[in-house]
Amino acid sequence: MNGGARRIDGSGLSGISHLVVEVSDGERALNFYKAVLGLDARPLEGWPVAGETAVPLPSKQILVFRAAAANEAEKETGIHQAYRCTAQARAAIAERLAAEGIPVHRYHEDRPAEADDPFYFADPDGNRIQLVSGPGEDGGIAAIDHAAIQASDMEWEEDFFVGQLNFTVDHRVGWNTADYVRARAWAEGKEEMAPGTRRMDHRYRDIPGAEPGRGREVARPNIQIFLDLGEGALGIFLATAHRQEPPPERACGTPRTAIAIDRAAIDGWAETLAGLGVAVEGPVVHDGRSPLAASVYFRDPCGNFFEFCAPAARGI
Amino acid sequence: MADVESISHSGICVHDLKQAEDFYCNVLGAEVHSRVNFKTQDALRGRSIHTTLTLDDYVFAVMLTEDWMEVPDADDLRGANRTRHAFCVPRARFPEILEMLAAHDVPFEGPVTHPEHGPFGESVYFRDPTGNFLEVLWRRDEDAEYNVVQPLGHGGGG
Repeated sequence: MNGGARRIDGSGLSGISHLVVEVSDGERALNFYKAVLGLDARPLEGWPVAGETAVPLPSKQILVFRAAAANEAEKETGIHQAYRCTAQARAAIAERLAAEGIPVHRYHEDRPAEADDPFYFADPDGNRIQLVSGPGEDGGIAAIDHAAIQASDMEWEEDFFVGQLNFTVDHRVGWNTADYVRARAWAEGKEEMAPGTRRMDHRYRDIPGAEPGRGREVARPNIQIFLDLGEGALGIFLATAHRQEPPPERACGTPRTAIAIDRAAIDGWAETLAGLGVAVEGPVVHDGRSPLAASVYFRDPCGNFFEFCAPAARGI
Repeated sequence: MADVESISHSGICVHDLKQAEDFYCNVLGAEVHSRVNFKTQDALRGRSIHTTLTLDDYVFAVMLTEDWMEVPDADDLRGANRTRHAFCVPRARFPEILEMLAAHDVPFEGPVTHPEHGPFGESVYFRDPTGNFLEVLWRRDEDAEYNVVQPLGHGGGG
C-alpha cells in the first residue's frame, strides 16, 4: 500500500492508507461505489476489524465501510472524502450520477490546490464525496486524495498534528482578511461554497448584559487548516456545534482516517502517542491473513479516530 | 477627569494573523498567550478573531480585521498611521534589535539619535507585515529610580 508514496520527513508516515466511512447499509454502499464510482474490486479477506468491509483502490489504498446509524448533524459540516480519478473517468461518473438523479455541486474552493475543477456529490448515506481529477488509468476512482474531519479546538489539533506529530500546514483558511472579505460574497449569494466552509456569526452573542440573539450578524469563513500527509492531505474544519465525543478511553472507532507507516516505525509511534495523553490501542499485530501487518489506533485531542498502520509484506 | 492610570494592553489590527504572530514572536521575541475564535465555543459566541501576545510585561493582541485597512506606502517606515507602538530595550541590547531586523529582512530607519536633554537615546523605526508602525528605543534615564515599574492599577501600590 502506498509503497512508493512521498513520505513525511523522518516519520515513516506516507499518506492515507485507508478511510473508514460510516454507511447505513454496507451492501448498498458497496453497490453504489461499484456501479457509480467504478470501484472495481472485491472486498479484502482477513480485514482485522470486525464489522468493517474493506475494498482496495487501484492505488492500493483501501476504502472501508462500517454499518452505523446516519449522523444527520454532520451532513452540513466540512467532513468529506476526496478521491482522485482521471478527467475521463470523472466525466463517466458524472453521466452515471445524472442518470441516478444525484446532483453535482461545483462549490468554490478555499484551498488553492483544489480550486481548478470542483466536483462534489453525496453517496446514498449523505457522505459528501469530492472527485479530484489527475493522472492515472481510466476507469473509476483510483486513489484517496484527501480527507476532511472537524474539530472543536483548532489550537489543540495544530499542536497535536504539527507540534507533536511533525505534520506541516499546507494551507490555512480564516487567518487573513481576504478570507473574511470573500465570505461576504458567499453571504450575498455570489459564491456557492461547500457546507462547513462558511458561517454566520452573531457578534458577542452572549456576553454579560447583552441580549441573546441581538448581536450583529456577520459572514465569516469557518476556520480550516490543511495538513500535508506526504501523499495527500488532511483537512480539519472547526466544528460549528458541539457534539458528543466517544468515551475518552476508546481508541478504535469510526469514522477513521488511517495513515500508512513503515512497519519499523510503528512501535516508536505507539510509544510517542501514549506519551501525548490521547487514547491509544496497540500496536496491534494482525494475523497473517490481514492486508495490514500492524496498527496503532488512537484519537486526536478532539475525539476523531485515527490509525497508523503498516501494510502486510505480501501486499494486498 | 477620568484619571486613568496606565495602559493595560493594546490591540494591533492586522491583515494576516499567522504572519503577525510569526513577526512579533520571531523578530521581537513575543510569546503567544492565547488565541480567540479557534474553538467552537468562541465561534458560537461570535467573538473577534485575535491572538494575545506577551512581550515581557506588556500584553497586546494582534486583531484580525475583517475589512481591508488603508496601508501607507511601503517606503514610509517612520509614520504614525493611527498609532505607533514603541517598545523599550536596555541600551546594551539595542544593537541586537538592529541585527534581528536585518536578519529577518525587515526594512528599518535609524538608529535615530534623539536630543541629549530628552529621555530617549536612540530609536529605530520599522513596520510589521501589515504596515503598522513600530519603534524600538533605549532611554537615557533607564537607570533612574522614578522609572521603576510600580504595581499596576489602584493607585500604584497599597
